[in-house]
Amino acid sequence: MMKSRSKTCPVCEAGVRVLDYKDDRALGRFLTDRGKILPSRLSGMCARHQRQLAVAIKRARELALLPYIKGYGQ
Amino acid sequence: MTRRYEVVYIFDAALDEAAINEKLTRFHALLGAGVVPAVNHWGKRQLAFPIKRRETGYYVITQFEALPSVLPEFERAIKLDESVVRFLTVLQGPEPPAVVPAAAVGAAEDDE
Repeated sequence: MMKSRSKTCPVCEAGVRVLDYKDDRALGRFLTDRGKILPSRLSGMCARHQRQLAVAIKRARELALLPYIKGYGQ
Repeated sequence: MTRRYEVVYIFDAALDEAAINEKLTRFHALLGAGVVPAVNHWGKRQLAFPIKRRETGYYVITQFEALPSVLPEFERAIKLDESVVRFLTVLQGPEPPAVVPAAAVGAAEDDE
């Protein structure tokens, strides 16, 4: 099932199976301009990677690699 | 049965490397005999938001295999140390995570 969708999912296309929460540069691309997690409707992610993305972004926020709110206090 | 863990520490950026290494060896001694963690120093880094008025932190990533029963005592010792601004312990799955190449991520942006 994942294979049939892999044409659209940017993470599958990159050949990445498991997302890394320390990869803040890549995760940052899947945030809105305010720092919310981009929905799969917009990110084009398959369900499996979208679930991984949500967990990875939340871990990265805890470690101050990504902001909770972009532009807050500036 | 041992499990694979990954711990990310954020130390106070004012600490020098020798002091951080000394603290790491003290923490890792609590993991039990024979556990040798792989240590990766990221070094000083800008925090995405200030934590306790600090703008930068010293990041260290460690990976090791240990018994789950040693973790509570290990994490308690880290929590008591005030020079650790923040830390995160993650249980690692059977598949190693990978970094998404920059080119692939750039392409994703165009789909929006």
